[in-house]
Amino acid sequence: MEKEILISGRNLRRHYRRGSETVKALDGVDVDVRAGESVCVLGPSGSGKTTLVNLLSALDAPTAGELTIGGRRVDGLSERELVGVRRGLLGYVFQQFHLIPTLTVAENVALPLLFLGRKAEPAEIARILEAVGLADRAGHLPKELSGGQMQRVAIGRALAVRPRVLIADEPTGNLDSHTGEAIFDLFQKTVREDGVALVLTTHNLALAARCDRTLTLADGRIVA
Amino acid sequence: MTYSALAWKNLVRRPVRTALTAGGVALAVAVAVSLGGFNLGYRQAIAGSIEQLGFQVMVMAKGCPYEAATLMLKGGSGLLYLPEEAHAQIRTDPDIEAITPIFIGIAEKQNVALDGTPAASAFTILSGVELDSFRAMKPWLKLKTGAGYAGGRWFAPDSTNEVVMGYEAAEYEQRKVGDTFYATVVPNGKVDSELHAFTVVGVLERTGAQDDGTVFLPLRAAQTMFGRENELTIIGIKLKEFNGIRMREFEGRWLKIPEVQVVSLEQVKGALVSLVGTAQTMVAAVAVIAILVAIIGVINSILTSVHERTGEIGVLKAVGAGRAQIFRLVWLETLLTSLAGAVPGSLLAAGGARLTDAALRHLLNIGVTQPLVRITPGLLGAAILGAVVLGLLAGIWPAGRAAGLRPVEAIRSGE
Repeated sequence: MEKEILISGRNLRRHYRRGSETVKALDGVDVDVRAGESVCVLGPSGSGKTTLVNLLSALDAPTAGELTIGGRRVDGLSERELVGVRRGLLGYVFQQFHLIPTLTVAENVALPLLFLGRKAEPAEIARILEAVGLADRAGHLPKELSGGQMQRVAIGRALAVRPRVLIADEPTGNLDSHTGEAIFDLFQKTVREDGVALVLTTHNLALAARCDRTLTLADGRIVA
Repeated sequence: MTYSALAWKNLVRRPVRTALTAGGVALAVAVAVSLGGFNLGYRQAIAGSIEQLGFQVMVMAKGCPYEAATLMLKGGSGLLYLPEEAHAQIRTDPDIEAITPIFIGIAEKQNVALDGTPAASAFTILSGVELDSFRAMKPWLKLKTGAGYAGGRWFAPDSTNEVVMGYEAAEYEQRKVGDTFYATVVPNGKVDSELHAFTVVGVLERTGAQDDGTVFLPLRAAQTMFGRENELTIIGIKLKEFNGIRMREFEGRWLKIPEVQVVSLEQVKGALVSLVGTAQTMVAAVAVIAILVAIIGVINSILTSVHERTGEIGVLKAVGAGRAQIFRLVWLETLLTSLAGAVPGSLLAAGGARLTDAALRHLLNIGVTQPLVRITPGLLGAAILGAVVLGLLAGIWPAGRAAGLRPVEAIRSGE
């Protein structure tokens, strides 16, 4: 049986003005993301990888094209409406981790639940920390962690809302290769065990080869 | 994790900035509370002191009625006198419930304080009173009892060498019942002063009014000592029914006596309150400026914080925070900053009320003995509530700015 399509983009365009010039960050991209698959977006810097994942994660809206996330058309929605699409459906992991420095590991992980209006059950947070291998770091502040540990916290934060799609923009870009491998293993485990769809961007071809599908971008278009 | 906890952690991230901003709020609240306390306290002090005079209407020699009233309240020289026959005429008025003639004279204070306390003024107020009518006007006056005051009594109406001392006058002069009180006065029409010795036959309990600093003696004895037989300083009157109409009728009947004027103590109260009106307006202006500076400080601090955390706010939006939630978070930070200033500011004003009282007394030399600054729980509550409301208003702009950030741009600008 064919897996459910969670994200579907047709002829996605994201153009913006820079002075008198129109920059075509994305220029007619078609993409589908199905439940339980891992999709890697490859491409050189400036090819439109980050723009694409920003659209797929409803952080930004396309200037043209059709985009459906979780069964809901999102092209043309305002930022206020996009928040509703993101909540509970999507989890986002950044290259720079972007943890809140004043919050402990457990508090960072529980943060999205605050915005969902859900109580952070200690057992649930402990389960997530266990899953990302940080059970013994719950009370630590981000500054007390290594880069790999911080990225694990970021993954835990993304998983806290039990998302159906995990989107990661160069999640291993700031990590050494060994740590990057470990983080990727964690992503694969999440996809395998929780049936979560994964969309990630990377420059690392070895990691890309481990994904179910690869999309290669160049100048805002899919070339392979 | 709650919004309040998150907001508080954001504030303590920059402790010096937060402390300085809260300090500005605290200062503004302290000034505002002190001003409010002064407004409240001064009116009550004036009202209390006038209430303690015991009468609603004064008949006095023509001149500035407010100056005379102030002299009644706090003493001083430059008293005017009216003929005693005015008392005989006015007492027949049918609207009068009680009337008492008073002669006030000023004696040089005997500098005999043992503890070296400097004199509050260089004079002692001597008040010649007609005992029965005076006591009927002020039934609350009680004689001290106990060691040193046993056998205390009012002076005999026809005595010439007996006095009853007010609480503070006796304290200052270190006098008890049976002691001798010396008064140096310059009789009317004479150049040289005369020393008079009196036996202290009683000391009054504290009243909180000017009576505490007064030495009482029989009316005739006072008039004779000052060489002003058949003269009075004021006639205190309590009307059977006191209102504006009765007052005007009473005034109309007795303005026919050429040397006197009739003054309502309500008028005096209003005039005394308005005397410090200018000072209060100036202090209010300072308070308003302090509040404005505090509001600008709060807005600036929170705006700076929002600017510094632009990327972080973008991340919060990326992980699910909506406009309303970001607004709420930043608004809470403003609220907490305001509260962190308002509470210590209020406590500072309450704790420093005595100091403020002393400073105002020094600056304004107001003729009342009751506290000039009254800081009530209601006033503190109003100040804290006011700071919270202003804090919330101050937070609208920064919170709105933060809430309106688009996540992608916000995250990018923070990197």
